[in-house]
Amino acid sequence: MLTIPGRKGCLCDGPTRRELLRVGSVGLFGLNLANFFQWQKALGASRLEGAQGFNSAKSVILVFLQGGPSHIDIWDPKPDAPTSVRGEFKPINTNVSGIQLSETMPMLAQQMDKCTLIRSMSYTPTGLFNHTAAIYQMLTGYPPDKVSPSGQLEPPSPADFPTAGSHISKLKPPSEPVLPFVEMPRPLQESSVIGKGGAAGFLGKAYDPYRLYQDPNQPIQLEDLTLRKDVPQERLQERFAMLKGINGSMPDLEKALKDYAIDEYYGKAFDLVLSGKAREAFDLSQEPDKVRERYGRTTFGQGLLLSRRLIQAGTRFVQMNWPAVANGNPEVDAWDTHAANFGPLRNLHCPVFDRGISALIEDLSQRGMFKDTLLVTVGEFGRSPRLGVSTSGNTNSPDGRDHWPYCYTALVAGAGMHVGRVYGASDQTASSPKEKPVHPNDLLATVYYSLGIDPDMTVLNHLNQPRELVKGKPVLELW
Amino acid sequence: MRNRIWVIAVIMIAAPCGAFAADQNVTALSVTPAALVFRSPDEGMRVLVMGTTAEGEQIDLSEAARLDPAESIVKRGADGLLYPVRQGETKVTVTARGAQAQFMVRVGDLTKAPQVSFLRDVEPILNKVGCTSGTCHGSAKGKNGFKLSLRGYDPEFDYEVLLYDMSGRRFNRADPARSLMLAKPTQQVPHGGGLRIELGSRYYNTILKWISAGVPYGDPKVDRVEKLEVLPKEVFMHGPSKAQQVLALAHYSDGSVRDVTREANISSNTPEVADVDPSARVKGERKGEAALLVRYEGKFVAVPVTVLNPNPGFAWNNLPQYNYVDELIDAKLKRLKILPSPAVDDAEFLRRVSLDLIGLPPTPEELRVFITDKTDSPAKRRRMVDRLIARPEFVDHWTLKWGDLLQVSRRYLGDKGMWEFRGWIRDSIAQNKPYDKFVYELLTARGSSYENPAANFFRVTRNAKASMEKTTQLFMGVRLVCTQCHDHPFEKWTQNQYYQMTAFFGSVGLKPGFQSGDEIVYDKREDYDIKHPKTGRVVAAKYLVASIGAPPIPNSPERREALVEWLTSKDNPFFARAIANRLWSYFLGRGIIEPVDDIRASNPPANEALLEALTKDLTDHAFDLRYLMKTIVNSRAYQAGIQTNVWNDDDKVNFSHAVPRRLGAEALMDALALAAGSRPKFPEVPPDTKAEEFPDPHVGKDGFLDVFGRPARESSCECERRSDISLPQALNLVNGRTIGDAVADPKGRVAGLILEGASDRAIVEDLYLAALCRYPTAKEYDTAAAYLKSGESRAAWAQDLLWSLVNSKAFLYNR
Repeated sequence: MLTIPGRKGCLCDGPTRRELLRVGSVGLFGLNLANFFQWQKALGASRLEGAQGFNSAKSVILVFLQGGPSHIDIWDPKPDAPTSVRGEFKPINTNVSGIQLSETMPMLAQQMDKCTLIRSMSYTPTGLFNHTAAIYQMLTGYPPDKVSPSGQLEPPSPADFPTAGSHISKLKPPSEPVLPFVEMPRPLQESSVIGKGGAAGFLGKAYDPYRLYQDPNQPIQLEDLTLRKDVPQERLQERFAMLKGINGSMPDLEKALKDYAIDEYYGKAFDLVLSGKAREAFDLSQEPDKVRERYGRTTFGQGLLLSRRLIQAGTRFVQMNWPAVANGNPEVDAWDTHAANFGPLRNLHCPVFDRGISALIEDLSQRGMFKDTLLVTVGEFGRSPRLGVSTSGNTNSPDGRDHWPYCYTALVAGAGMHVGRVYGASDQTASSPKEKPVHPNDLLATVYYSLGIDPDMTVLNHLNQPRELVKGKPVLELW
Repeated sequence: MRNRIWVIAVIMIAAPCGAFAADQNVTALSVTPAALVFRSPDEGMRVLVMGTTAEGEQIDLSEAARLDPAESIVKRGADGLLYPVRQGETKVTVTARGAQAQFMVRVGDLTKAPQVSFLRDVEPILNKVGCTSGTCHGSAKGKNGFKLSLRGYDPEFDYEVLLYDMSGRRFNRADPARSLMLAKPTQQVPHGGGLRIELGSRYYNTILKWISAGVPYGDPKVDRVEKLEVLPKEVFMHGPSKAQQVLALAHYSDGSVRDVTREANISSNTPEVADVDPSARVKGERKGEAALLVRYEGKFVAVPVTVLNPNPGFAWNNLPQYNYVDELIDAKLKRLKILPSPAVDDAEFLRRVSLDLIGLPPTPEELRVFITDKTDSPAKRRRMVDRLIARPEFVDHWTLKWGDLLQVSRRYLGDKGMWEFRGWIRDSIAQNKPYDKFVYELLTARGSSYENPAANFFRVTRNAKASMEKTTQLFMGVRLVCTQCHDHPFEKWTQNQYYQMTAFFGSVGLKPGFQSGDEIVYDKREDYDIKHPKTGRVVAAKYLVASIGAPPIPNSPERREALVEWLTSKDNPFFARAIANRLWSYFLGRGIIEPVDDIRASNPPANEALLEALTKDLTDHAFDLRYLMKTIVNSRAYQAGIQTNVWNDDDKVNFSHAVPRRLGAEALMDALALAAGSRPKFPEVPPDTKAEEFPDPHVGKDGFLDVFGRPARESSCECERRSDISLPQALNLVNGRTIGDAVADPKGRVAGLILEGASDRAIVEDLYLAALCRYPTAKEYDTAAAYLKSGESRAAWAQDLLWSLVNSKAFLYNR
């Protein structure tokens, strides 16, 4: 039996996490999770069992538009606002009467009946007003508390709050030997701060995402998931048994390394290599060309297609990041359009985004996958309704837009939610929510809730201190 | 309401403590400060009363002590503070736990109290109640149209904003109580920041008085805090659940002292160990160490807090001390009741020290020779250290390290530039160039980067600010980045200093060289001035801190020589200290100050005496880094085992035992090559090149080395090199090509052993020595031999054993 070192302590009656992990990894190579689920039930998410929308999804695709896309120029057009707000784009009708998108999103407009726009995303940042702080807030549910003495955000730390996918892969491990949480095709990044808000933090590295930092538009290299010819399954198993013996002969070292969860990684690695399921999921060549073209032969498009395949294979949480540094050059591919907004959105970003996201919605819908898959598409904030002003301290060109967390838009679909509508609304200039504001924490709570995780539950941090999973309420009216 | 809850909480905590402590008489009392001087009628002050118990423990009796003034010129308020009653001078008798002490009190002429001023009285209130915090009006853009400087670092600015913004409507001179400046924080008119100051409170009255007095600014010469003093200088508790009052005293140039405990910002850097409550009482939470950071009007003091292990039965184990390092570490451990772990055996020592000095584990032959050498162990180890330092792999290993820090990469330097720069570093290390000279050559480099490769330093940084930031962070361990926009929030560094230091690099110019890909570093003759972003004025170069013998700064573009002379001087308080600390971290896995490139008063060292001694040793030996390395690795502290005892198993900062460190990516690949007798090939380098010899991160990009955390050399930060374990790494180890190919190589170690007809026993022994650097135990021989007999092919079996050995933790970690 694999014994996995972990932290002691549990808030409730029932097995400790240590015991739980033993249960979760019975046998050398198979994650026997039946017991785990039983135990989870006993633990009692039952409070919400049967509530509307609770436990309505098995998996999540989060399309995270790092950089902060301009909500007005994409999905919350304001044709009646002054030019300085309205911008260059005109609204277009969608296949749902009464809902308009910006002309930059013609293909999504034809899928509007399959998704819902939350146009009242909003929060007021405490502290730093930059991408990383906002990304951390969006994905962990907590404002960054730690700013380095140099006034910048600290790089990822083991004491960080866990990113949503890590919480989920711990609380809802997949039932099959697949990668529970995959992040691609590049890390979250602002300047030199890489991956803040995108790691398991105090849950321990075992719950970090599998980071597929490769371009899915190119053949994907998965050397580590393919069995060697000269090492068939039985031989690998024998090797593993011997390895255990060797590790066991140095108890002091085992003790000194107990916090690093090394055995846990090895256990997972074995399961993955031996099952082969994950490997196949990554093979985009199995998709017909027509499908691949529909998504767009871009890093983003093929990444979305791969997201769908991973969900089909049983992955719990896929996070597809917009493939550009958050504060990168907008004239190339970043959403951070301080310096130039309209040209890049029209010619670079939106065509890629529109094609990809509309293909994903259409595809998930046609395959009936929305039944138990939740799709969330959002950035860390929107952009300033007024052109050319500075809201974050950055300089903006006359046609640029600055950071704007006070009001922006998210797209959700699947998990049995109502579709073809708009939830909440922004004011005349899309500057603040006119009604039903949704805090990023509420969005996170909604994601947890849909997966059958009680958003009000408490988790233990690295010091065994209880922490709220998220300080937000699920948006029940989405169902 | 909030305050009331707090009071109750204090009583509840205090009651059981008091009951327990009452039985314990003290042998002596000490009172600090020794005298109090009152100048204003509403001034409150406090003394610290410390009792010494029969066991020598210092306990805080400030709260419980009775204070009896001989003449009642002062009285004690409900808050425990002393307040003046009338002018005079008297002795106060302190009584607590059967002991007595005395201190003096003087009350000046209360009718001639100093005037309330913005600098001395009002700005501290704005800072304390949060007006100037980064989330309120101190944020870069202010809040709701009202901007103050961050944490009040610029009182002049704040004063002018208050006075002149909004056409001066913040004050109502006719009816001061109706001033907007009072109405807002007391929420008599709506205030986004909520209630900050209670109506009629002490702060309210101070501001009211100030407005009534005509809003005087104060005299910067007199009303600026000159020095902040915190009492006690150190908090030492004999166990958790004890408490200690802390006093913060502001000293002014006119000699006056003010008790600013209530206005100072006091926080603990490790609240799990010691937390501090709003009345400045430190409470021990669990054994360990913390630092109390006290901030007041731009001045900082860090107070070390120790909470001892309360368990009885501690007895010192008197391990041998190999050099001064051990003496200084043991001194601290003894005081903290931490028992060090003894040194490892010869085999473990050789593996550890080889990996740390030359980036390679020993070969089976080297191990056999070393283990069988019967010389007295410490002497034999010292000899081995000398031999390792003399090896060419030592140069490879430290070239790699400096290549990381100086960002040697073809991405910035092109192919030729990269090779030249690496070559220059290699030569410097090979000839053991003194560290001060090494830095001098880098920072004063001029000319073609091909002819003078040290000039590549500036090809990486490219502009004055980046050059300055890299210089201070890398060579002084000081981070100045934040002061580009505002004064440092936790340090004394100011925005002015950022630009003064940058001014040294203003004249560094880059222009294309005569050969393709080359660049020339030259001194610009014009446009080299650095301007302050706020005033637009030219900033004159000035050293960050004064130090003895620093040369005058020339009024010409060539300022770098002066800077480097100041920087690399033995008297520079940062330079030698930073490298001593950095080197230490390479061998012990953690800096004495951690992180190593964040040296500041609010990040105190784990062992100041040790860091000071190492620093002095380095300067006394002319910045000879090899000498310092030897001192470190020849200490028992370095050679301590990873085994822990009940007295040191949770020590993470005092170097009482070793902590396993994962091999760096390159060392891991090289150790694997040694164990398996097979090296992977890379097209960019000649065959059989060690990974530690790779010139930059472009060799083998995106492969094994990057998975295992090789730095991309995108910054000088030590944090770029990752040493964690992750799922992709486990996958790579279990199933990746690097290990799989090496183990199965038909020309590798296993193939060799089989072909030469080695016995089962010899195979097992050789593989254990090659991979784990130790002999197998009897049981391991037996298990392995039994396995061998069960298989069809001995070669396949031996491969499996080797595979398992190189996948084991004992292989992956330096232990």
